[in-house]
Amino acid sequence: MAQPRVALWAEADDIDEDLQDMSLGNYGQNIHYDDSLFQQPIDEATLMAMQQHMAQQAAFAQIPDVVKAFIVHFHQAVLDNNLAEITIAYESGWNKYTEKFYARSEWPEAEIIAPLVNDDPIFLILYRELYYRHVYSRLQPNIDDRFHSYENSCELFNYLLNSEGPVQLELPEQWLWDIIDEFIYQFQVFCTWRSKVKSKSDDELSMLADGGPVWSSYSVLNVLYSLIQKSKINEYIAAHQAGKTPEEVAEIVGEYGVRPLYRHLGYFSIIGLLRVHVLLGDFTLALKVMENVELNQKSPYTRVTACTVATYYYVGFCYIMLRRYPDAIRTFISILNWIMRMRQYHTRSYQYDQISKTADRMYALFAICNALSPSRLDDNIANISKERYGDQFAKMARGGEEAVPAFKELFLYACPKFINANAPPYDDAIAINTILSQPEGSDLSDAIDPAQRHLSLLLSDVVAQTPVPTLRSFLKLYTSLGAKKLANFLDADEEEMVQQLMVMKQASRSVTHVPGGKGLLDGQTASTSDLNFVIDENMVHIAESTVGRRYAGWFIKNTERTQKLYGDLKAQPLPAAKASVGSTNHPVELAKPVTRPVAPKVAWGGVAIKA
Amino acid sequence: MAESWISPPTRQPLIEDLVSGVDRYNPSNVGILEDYLYHQIRSQEYDCLANLAILKLYQFNPELYNPDVVINILIKALTTSPLPDFNLSISLLDERSINSSLEEPDPVPALLPTLKRLNDLLYKCRFPAFWELYQSAELEHLRDNYTVECVGFEDSVREVAIRAVKATFTRISAERLASYLDLNGTDLAAFVQKKGWKMEAGVIEIPPNPDNQIEATVVQENIKLSQITKLIAHGASN
Repeated sequence: MAQPRVALWAEADDIDEDLQDMSLGNYGQNIHYDDSLFQQPIDEATLMAMQQHMAQQAAFAQIPDVVKAFIVHFHQAVLDNNLAEITIAYESGWNKYTEKFYARSEWPEAEIIAPLVNDDPIFLILYRELYYRHVYSRLQPNIDDRFHSYENSCELFNYLLNSEGPVQLELPEQWLWDIIDEFIYQFQVFCTWRSKVKSKSDDELSMLADGGPVWSSYSVLNVLYSLIQKSKINEYIAAHQAGKTPEEVAEIVGEYGVRPLYRHLGYFSIIGLLRVHVLLGDFTLALKVMENVELNQKSPYTRVTACTVATYYYVGFCYIMLRRYPDAIRTFISILNWIMRMRQYHTRSYQYDQISKTADRMYALFAICNALSPSRLDDNIANISKERYGDQFAKMARGGEEAVPAFKELFLYACPKFINANAPPYDDAIAINTILSQPEGSDLSDAIDPAQRHLSLLLSDVVAQTPVPTLRSFLKLYTSLGAKKLANFLDADEEEMVQQLMVMKQASRSVTHVPGGKGLLDGQTASTSDLNFVIDENMVHIAESTVGRRYAGWFIKNTERTQKLYGDLKAQPLPAAKASVGSTNHPVELAKPVTRPVAPKVAWGGVAIKA
Repeated sequence: MAESWISPPTRQPLIEDLVSGVDRYNPSNVGILEDYLYHQIRSQEYDCLANLAILKLYQFNPELYNPDVVINILIKALTTSPLPDFNLSISLLDERSINSSLEEPDPVPALLPTLKRLNDLLYKCRFPAFWELYQSAELEHLRDNYTVECVGFEDSVREVAIRAVKATFTRISAERLASYLDLNGTDLAAFVQKKGWKMEAGVIEIPPNPDNQIEATVVQENIKLSQITKLIAHGASN
């Protein structure tokens, strides 16, 4: 089987002819299967098949030779499980030819290139995976694309999960992540598209009515949970953390879990679940599925940058919705610093755009958290965030009425693309007609964007906290102050102001993750503010914690710097070998001048050493 | 979240399996979880994650939706303020589509704004306003049909107020506390006594706790040996 492909690859000139023959041979069998064809009049189905066949041939002929060669080569790399070659084809080849030939059109359909890869069903599934991903990212998917990409994903996961035993396929980590990531992305865009009833054509309405489980929440969760269970990834992580030997780990995770393909897919499925649960508004469950995963950047999966970035983004977002702003801040700081460190290696990556967009949204979320729970954890990140969202941050931090629109703007910009778990009632003709007959712009015409629901929850918390910044600025000026006097300053009712002080107290406490805590949900209540106060009947007593100047750190840093400078200076070659030899005991200075071919003037060296 | 929130000691192994396992998605388990909710309502227990699991099943299976259960979950979640349980429950309540107009009208859309207002007042520590709204004629329906079934509901709300008071006050006037708790005279005295607090001349003393002790501190840096090993090593080598 491998022989003809090698020839094709090597002799590009012959590709067209050879492949034409091959496709004829293959398709010919299907069409001319029936000998009676020549005796009986051609029936309609056969005619259609022939026409289709000719159309396919024509389409095939249009594929540039280099692309054919690329597909053949790509197929061979997959057959050989040659990760290095697959990676090259996947990360550079595919993108290169996309730019060159398919920037504004689809790649050839899988049926058309099938003869190039001997109709290899597995490769064709993988090819379609790339084909549809390209359609989603560069073009506008139509309803067929949406349905077929779902079917193709199902075929892929079926093959992986329901073959007899683990499959022998190997794919690069990055591709495996992209498969899971894309699966969820397509689910999310399908749900969003589905929720807009008004813009559907009659065909689309009838297809959606018969759509059944296509892109249902259950089917998506089912895939992710199945991959997690099959790969025993949670057991793998636990065994790893318990310091088991590789043999013990292999024993625990079984025949699937030992294969990198399944292990990676299992891990990425956990992250996928985190994301799906967030999209559906289940923030506790999202963190709960992560309970075995240790969030640190030593994890082997940081190699897949996009995965790491997504993980922290969704975890941080969950913390916001759990009112655990300090935890969210900590999460964003650690990933944003990491992205900054990684940036130098990633500017070339085709994912760089996506990563920096997510980073931008995290700076916005960071600004939200920092306004609700001011912290001085990382001035650098705080400054970048203020640079980008200075106006909004100023308004949010000041509190009052202007704060609300600023929170709203940043939240809607930075929040995940929430989805409704269920479709509008396409299968219920009466109900759908009711919706369709609603006038444009009416509340009932389209399902309400779930982001609005989550936004209103955040805003109600925000509104509750709006008096806090003002109270805080007054309290900062005093060590004790009568409640009545404070109420007068604020032009407020004393009782109401006392209640606001309780809100302020409440806002300065938060559940936070403690080191060694079990899972991401675990935590203890901690104080998050440097300003503390207490009310003794009607007298407010205030105490402020200040951070002393960090002298020692400053001295350590500068002493080290000076030591390095001194060391470097000593290691410098002396300008003149002869002068220094006689006047110094330092072996370094003896040795170095020799290595330096051009020696500067003598006098300088002598002075330096005597001094 | 505290350990007891993630996994309350009263949670039975059967429920634990449902909350933590894949079986939580099985629609046929909704009855078990709903029974558990009604058990919580009768016996003053609370299990947020189990209740969210019910809402999850409703989210995925709109035909299971039971408005009374939803309202009870929200009522239970009200009394956990300032924890986010109420918001977390609302987050899972997807928009319900038109065809689900059941034989009986769904009471949730009518009650939801009221419950949100109550939650808002609690989160804003507007306790007197909470009681005023709660006892208004407008909310008679809620009281007579729902909160009356939830054993100890009013006391749980008082606990919300108590948590805020304990964190904020060292001493509080009986009058003010009475307005927060909606208790007067002997009821208040009994309540305060039950807490083991001292009342003297109309002022109640709140025992010290980590939140009502204030101290102006200067956070000093702590130098660890590991930070200066380099310096010492350098000094020693010269």
